[in-house]
Amino acid sequence: MTSNHQNTETPLIDPACYAAATAAIRTEAVRLLVAGEVAAVVGYRAGRRTGSVMPDVATTVEAAGQLLFSPACQNNLALFLSKAKREVLPHGRVAIVVKGCDLRALAGLIGESQLRRDEVHVIGVACPGVFGANADLSKPLSAEGLARKCRACKVHLPEGVDLVAGTLPPLPDLPDLEAEEIARLEAMTPQERWAFWTEQFSRCIRCLACRQICPFCFCTQCLCDRNRPQAVDTSPRPAGNTAWHMVRAMHLAGRCSGCAECERVCPMDIPLNLLNRKMAQELYELYGFEASMQPQEQTPLTSYRDNDDQSFIK
Amino acid sequence: MTLTLDNLHRLIDALLAKKVRVVGPKRTGAITVYAPLAKGTELDLDQLPRRSAKEVFFPPCETILSFEKRDGKTTVSDPDLDLLPETVLIGVRPCDAAAPGILDAVFSWDYDDPFYLERRKRTTIIGIACTASDDACFCTAVGLAPDARQGSDLFLVPLQGGGFAVESLDAKGSALKERHAALFSAGSNAQPLPLAVPAVDPLDLAKVKAWLDENFEHPLWQEIADRCAGCGACAFLCPACHCFDIVDEGGEGSGCRRKHWDACGFGKFTMHASAHNPRDVQAQRYRNRIMHKFKYYADKFGQTLCTGCGRCIRWCPVGIDIKAVLDEINGK
Repeated sequence: MTSNHQNTETPLIDPACYAAATAAIRTEAVRLLVAGEVAAVVGYRAGRRTGSVMPDVATTVEAAGQLLFSPACQNNLALFLSKAKREVLPHGRVAIVVKGCDLRALAGLIGESQLRRDEVHVIGVACPGVFGANADLSKPLSAEGLARKCRACKVHLPEGVDLVAGTLPPLPDLPDLEAEEIARLEAMTPQERWAFWTEQFSRCIRCLACRQICPFCFCTQCLCDRNRPQAVDTSPRPAGNTAWHMVRAMHLAGRCSGCAECERVCPMDIPLNLLNRKMAQELYELYGFEASMQPQEQTPLTSYRDNDDQSFIK
Repeated sequence: MTLTLDNLHRLIDALLAKKVRVVGPKRTGAITVYAPLAKGTELDLDQLPRRSAKEVFFPPCETILSFEKRDGKTTVSDPDLDLLPETVLIGVRPCDAAAPGILDAVFSWDYDDPFYLERRKRTTIIGIACTASDDACFCTAVGLAPDARQGSDLFLVPLQGGGFAVESLDAKGSALKERHAALFSAGSNAQPLPLAVPAVDPLDLAKVKAWLDENFEHPLWQEIADRCAGCGACAFLCPACHCFDIVDEGGEGSGCRRKHWDACGFGKFTMHASAHNPRDVQAQRYRNRIMHKFKYYADKFGQTLCTGCGRCIRWCPVGIDIKAVLDEINGK
């Protein structure tokens, strides 16, 4: 009823790959807790509905034995290591299950001094891909159901982690729909592009799921919540909606690790990752910089070089 | 009486011709939402709209007064509620149709909210029995059903072979039907399409409430809040959540006072001007969500603030499942 995708019954990826990752995660999680190496393992566990999963903070061997990895493991669990959710973790070292895209967020958070590498035990998953928004989680993963970000993923196999869970199967070669969409928008006139985004933002209801799910939206006082003085209208109307999404895109430029969680969780289907990916492309073209490939304190937008291009100063 | 799908579309066109605003499920991009229809064929009955129908009575944002300062003189003006259009809300699933009847209690309790109540008065609801559900649906567990008539003025039951059996349930429904009598025909022998009956465990709401009465402090709240990201997706998609904020917005010299949706999951929802926040942590906020729906509203108005539409389950960014939470409470 609510699925927009007609998933075929033939899985895109052999389900055995996810099962192998699940087994490796469980073994490692149990080992870590039994050995007392960590106080908790942040991972995924099954939800009530067929195929559904949810984030879990496992602190017991029993809970660790129920962690899993499946195409429904969409959440970027790095959120739990950013200020937003950090209070829920028990004191001490923790382990976290990350896909390659999530690992980039961890690297970004380390670079921004939000956590230290030695505070976390990283269980990286060899991830063939996960479901996108609107997919029917009860069906096998299909090309239509695959998240758009996964089609362009360069980090299926996480590097620099403490353990890699699972192995990568041969991956299907699928067109990068997001890049095609960005190219389509770039080819538009500014007026057409403005019309496109105006229409997209008109649906925004300001539920702030995009902000709350973002590992990098860790400000304790968001500019957009301020009311004395008010910087951005809080009501869901064109002015405030546009300002909010622009402010957020700018604030994430050079920081966003491309997990696309903001886009996945948007209940109004606003393609927010197009903004983030476009900003990342700009950063790459201007500075040859890719956010969060490794922890870095100095990023193009937070540092200065004598030879920086200043031609924009008129 | 019966109505063919073509005649349902003609009914919408006839209403539009009479300058009646017709709101119904409409496909916009990849999603379906309740939106004003420009013609009958825009009606999309295949999907449960992403947002509930509450916005017809309680819009995401509305101006409740405007002000202007000119030549040292300030004028304040109220919106003209007489301009609110006569509306027919069509193709509403039982889980959405039931909600306004539940909300009437709070919007006419200590204060008659003219914005909400005026829209209620001017709106006729045409409900439709539900023939498709998914595993997030749980209307049957909260006392509703895929063919619940509650809240509808006119009710459509889809028939095998197409078309609908039509029942008018009150004066508003009868009046609408009589005004367009030519579009309706006498009853047919066609059988109704099978209803979508959600396959969910039943809930004993009295038992849930009894547990909530006793467990303001319980580790369960922290356990759920551990994963809650603190957004407003659940509340904003919910047909029954009705909290709002009031803000002044505008530029130098003029502006508006606006009422817009708010959510108890937001960290600053209860922030006082003194900076004291009585619901300082997410566990207190999530607890409030459940308490308000299944205890406070029941205590105050004898009703449950949930219709089992499942939107909060489908769209929770972190997979929090209110039905699973209620099952757990029910099992305690």
